[in-house]
Amino acid sequence: MAATMNRILLVLFIYTTTTLNLKINAEVIDDFKEELFIKPLPSGHVYFHFQFTTTWEADFENPKSFEHYRLFPKSLGHVLTTYKVQELHLSQTQGLWRHDKWGYPVSSAPPGAELWVWFQPSIKSLDDTWSELVNAVSGHFCTSLNFLDSKSTAAPRWSFRPHGVASDGYSSFSKFIRYGALPREIVCTENLTPWKKLLPCNTKVGFGTLFKAIKLYDANYHSLGLDVRPVCRDSDCKRTSIELSQSLSVVFDPTVKNNDHQDWSLKKILGDVLSSRCPLASSSKIFVDTTSNIPKSIFTLSPDPDSVETVTRGGEKRQYAVYDVGLQTAEGRVLNLGAKYDNPVQYNDIIPPPIYAQRYITGYGLEQGGVTCVIYNNLDTNLTVIYMETLPWFTRLYFKSLTIVNQNKQVHPYKVHYIPGKDRSRSYHLELVFRLRANSVTKISYKFERAFLKWTEYPPDANHGFYINSAVISTVLPTACNYTSTPQSSSCIESSFQDKSENFFLRIHTETLLVSLPTPDFSMPYNVICLACTVVAIAFGSIHNLTTRRFIKLDPSKKKGLLAKIKAIFIKEKNTKSDEVSEKETDKENETEKDE
Amino acid sequence: MSAPMIYQKITKMIVILLFILCAPWLVLSNTQEEEIGEFFKSGHTNNWAVLVDTSRFWFNYRHVANVLSIYRSVKRLGIPDSHIILMVADDMACNPRNPRPATVFNNANQHINVYGDDVEVDYRGYEVTVENFIRVLTGRLPPSTPRSKHLLSDERSNILVYMTGHGGDGFLKFQDAEEVSNVELADAFEQMWQKRRYHELFFMVDTCQAQSMFQRFYSPNILAVASSHVGEDSLSHHVDPALGVYVIDRYTFYALEFLEKAKPGSKKTMGQFLKVCPKHQCISTVAVRTDLFQRDPNQVLLTDFFGSVRNVEILLNTLSLPNITLSSDTCSKSSCGNEEVSSRNLKYADQFPMPV
Repeated sequence: MAATMNRILLVLFIYTTTTLNLKINAEVIDDFKEELFIKPLPSGHVYFHFQFTTTWEADFENPKSFEHYRLFPKSLGHVLTTYKVQELHLSQTQGLWRHDKWGYPVSSAPPGAELWVWFQPSIKSLDDTWSELVNAVSGHFCTSLNFLDSKSTAAPRWSFRPHGVASDGYSSFSKFIRYGALPREIVCTENLTPWKKLLPCNTKVGFGTLFKAIKLYDANYHSLGLDVRPVCRDSDCKRTSIELSQSLSVVFDPTVKNNDHQDWSLKKILGDVLSSRCPLASSSKIFVDTTSNIPKSIFTLSPDPDSVETVTRGGEKRQYAVYDVGLQTAEGRVLNLGAKYDNPVQYNDIIPPPIYAQRYITGYGLEQGGVTCVIYNNLDTNLTVIYMETLPWFTRLYFKSLTIVNQNKQVHPYKVHYIPGKDRSRSYHLELVFRLRANSVTKISYKFERAFLKWTEYPPDANHGFYINSAVISTVLPTACNYTSTPQSSSCIESSFQDKSENFFLRIHTETLLVSLPTPDFSMPYNVICLACTVVAIAFGSIHNLTTRRFIKLDPSKKKGLLAKIKAIFIKEKNTKSDEVSEKETDKENETEKDE
Repeated sequence: MSAPMIYQKITKMIVILLFILCAPWLVLSNTQEEEIGEFFKSGHTNNWAVLVDTSRFWFNYRHVANVLSIYRSVKRLGIPDSHIILMVADDMACNPRNPRPATVFNNANQHINVYGDDVEVDYRGYEVTVENFIRVLTGRLPPSTPRSKHLLSDERSNILVYMTGHGGDGFLKFQDAEEVSNVELADAFEQMWQKRRYHELFFMVDTCQAQSMFQRFYSPNILAVASSHVGEDSLSHHVDPALGVYVIDRYTFYALEFLEKAKPGSKKTMGQFLKVCPKHQCISTVAVRTDLFQRDPNQVLLTDFFGSVRNVEILLNTLSLPNITLSSDTCSKSSCGNEEVSSRNLKYADQFPMPV
C-alpha cells in the first residue's frame, strides 16, 4: 500500500515538474556565445580578449520575464530588478593600458575599479538606491565598491551616455546616471572567482578551463569587465533584449619567460590547452588578428585556421584567422593554438594610434599642485573631444587656472560643465568639450590646492598617498585604425566584421594620479607622551629629592677601606638590634599600659 | 589471621569470575551507548568561521599566510564560502612585490599555495576595521550590507574565530591604526551569547602575548587557544629568500601541518589540536582556556569547529505533495507573444552627443 502510494506520488511529481519545465522552456529564450580574440601587438606583447555574451529575451517593462532564468545568472538578474537598473558597467583592472604602444582595447578600463550605472526612469530615491546597489555589487564581486559614497560619485553629463537602447529624452537626462571609480582597488583571484561563477559553463568546459589565476595575474594588464544593457531584439527594434557581456582582457609579454623568443601558445601563456567546447554556447570561436602578416608573413599559426576572413572596416583592411572550437576539439583532440615567429625577436615600428593621452601631476610641495593632460592627435582632421575629470574634495581645483593650449594658442572649449566640490560631501566634476587640431598636441592644465584632513580621515597607510581618478576622453574617430571595439548593436567580436559604419566612438582612460597630502606624523602622540613623562620624571624627581632629603656630613679624610665597610655593616646590625630591643621595651610598656 | 585471608582470597576470585563473565555484555552496551551518545553529543547544526588578518604592509606577509592557511583547512574540511567570513587587510598575492603573482605560500619550498584558485575575501583592505569586526560578530550591520558579509549564525552554530596580527598585553592591533582590547572582545562574545548567536565558539589567536586576549572572557561555551603566554612573543617560522620576508608564524605552521592530515570524516579531537606545537617547536608556550567550555576537549571532534560534517537523518514516512496547477495568467507559448509592442522603433542612444 505504501509502495503504491509512493509510486503514485512519484509519478505525479514527475508529471508536474515536466509540465512546469515545458512551460519554463517556452518562456526563457537566451543565447550564449563565447569568443576569444587574440591580437599580437606591435610592441611584442600579445593581447587576449575573452568575450562571453549572453542575450536574453527579457524586457525591463515586463517583470514576469524575470521570473525564470536559464543562462543569464539569477543573482545578477535579482540585482537588476531590485535596484531598477537599466544599464550596469563594471570594470576591474590591474595595470595600465598603453595606448601609444598597444592601440585601443576592445573596451577601455581605468586602473582599479570603475562602476557606472543608468537607472530605470521609474526609480525613486536614486541616491539611496545607488548606495544599496554599490553594496550589493561589492558583496557580489568581493570588491570594496561600498566606498563609493557621495564623496566619490559623480553624474557625468555628456561622457557616459547609455550604451544600449534608450530614448533621446532619457539619455540626455543625466539625473539617471551615477559614475564612481576607485583607483586603489586591487584585482586578484578573489575577484575572478565570483566573476567566473556567472558564466554558464563556469570553468568546467570551454574557455573557462583556460582561467588559471597564476598565469592571468602574471601579466602586464588584466581587466575583468561586466556590462549589462538593453539591446534591440532584431533589426526592426520593436522590442529589447538584455545583453550581458563578460570580458576578460589580458596582455602578456611572451618574451619574458621564453628566453627572448616571441613564440606564444595557449599552453605557454595560459597554462592549459583547450580540450572542450561549452555545450551551452551557440558559437565558440577564436579569432586571431593576422593583419601584421600582410604583406610579409612574420609568424605562422599552428594548427591551421578553419577559415581566414578579410574585413574592411572604416577604410582599414584587416585579416582574421578563425578557429571553430567545436571542430577543433571534436573526437578528443585538443587545441593548442600558437604562433611561431620566423625570427627570434621581431618588433614592428610602432605607429601610435590616432589619439592618445598622457596625464601627470606638476608642482612641488604639499600645499599646491597642478595636473596637466597632454592629448596627441595624429589624424589629419580636427577632432571634437569630451574631457571628463573627477577630483576628490581634498584636492581643491582652481577653476580659473584651467587652460587649454594648442601650439601656444589658447583653445576655448565649446561647452563646460563644472560642479565644484564641497568639503567632505562632494567631489569636483569637470567636463569640457573642445576641438583638437589635426596633427597636433593639446595640453590641458589646471592647479589645485591640497586640503588638511582631520586625523581620523587618514587611511591606515596614510603616507602612501591618495589617488585621483583617471580622466576619461571620449571622441568619435573617422577611421578604424587600431580600433577593436565592437559596434553598438552587439558585444560579440564577430559583429565587428560586418560593421559598415563610418564613425567609431572611442573612449580612453588616462593614468590615475597619486597625490601626497600633508600627513601628520602618527607616531608623535606616543613620542610626546614618552618625552613628557621623561621630563616630568626627571624634573619632579630631582626637585622632590632636593626638597625632602636630609644631608648628613661625612668626613672625607677618613679612609674607608674594606675593613671599615665590614665594620659599618656590623654597626648597622647592632643599631637594628638595639632598635628592636627598644621596640620590644616600648611594646612591653604598651602592654603593661593596656593591662592596666 | 589465616581465615580472613582465605575469605579475602575467595571474594577476590568470585569478583574476578563475575567480571570475566559480564565483560562482553558491558563492552557491547558501551559501544551502543557510545554510538548513541556521539550522535547527540555535538548539539550543533551548522558551522561558521570568522577568520581575521589585521596586518597591512608587505613585511606582514606571514599574517596573511596564517589566515589563508586556516581558510584553506576550513574550506577543505567542508565549511562553504557562504559560511566563512574572511577579512584580509592587505593584498599579498597580487602585490607588485610578489615574484609569484596570485600565490601565497606558507613555505619557502612552495609546498602549498594557500591562496588557491577559489578564494573569496569578504572584507578586504580598508574594510578590516575594529568596528566592522565587532559589527560582524554582534550582527549589527547596516541593512544594505550584502549577505556575504553577514555572520548569520543561530543558537545551534559552532563558530571558529581566528585572529592573527600584532598584539600585546590586552590588545590586538588593527592595520597599524587602531586596536581592539580583550575587554571589548569579551563583551562582544557576551553579546553574541545573549543574542543566541553561537552554540559553541572556538577562539584561536596567533599574536604576541596572545593569552591576554582570552583572559577576560566570561561567556559560556568558549574554548580558546593562544600561541603564547602573557609576557612571551609568538615567533615566526622561517624566511623565504625570494620574498625577503617571513612567510608564516610558528604556531599556525604546525597547526596547519596537523590540519592537513585531517580529512572531512576525521575522528581527531580538539584535545589533540590543543596540544599542537609544544614548547620545543613553538618556543612560546601555547595557552589554552577550557574552563568556560562544558564538554571535555578530548571528547570533541576536530570537525565540530573546523569542518562542516552534517548528520543526516533519514525519514521513512511519506509526505503528500499538493497537486500544483498553474494559474491562468502565466503565459504559454501562444499568449507570450501578445506583449505590448511599442509603436515606434526603439534605437540606440547616441554615445557622443556633440556635433562631430
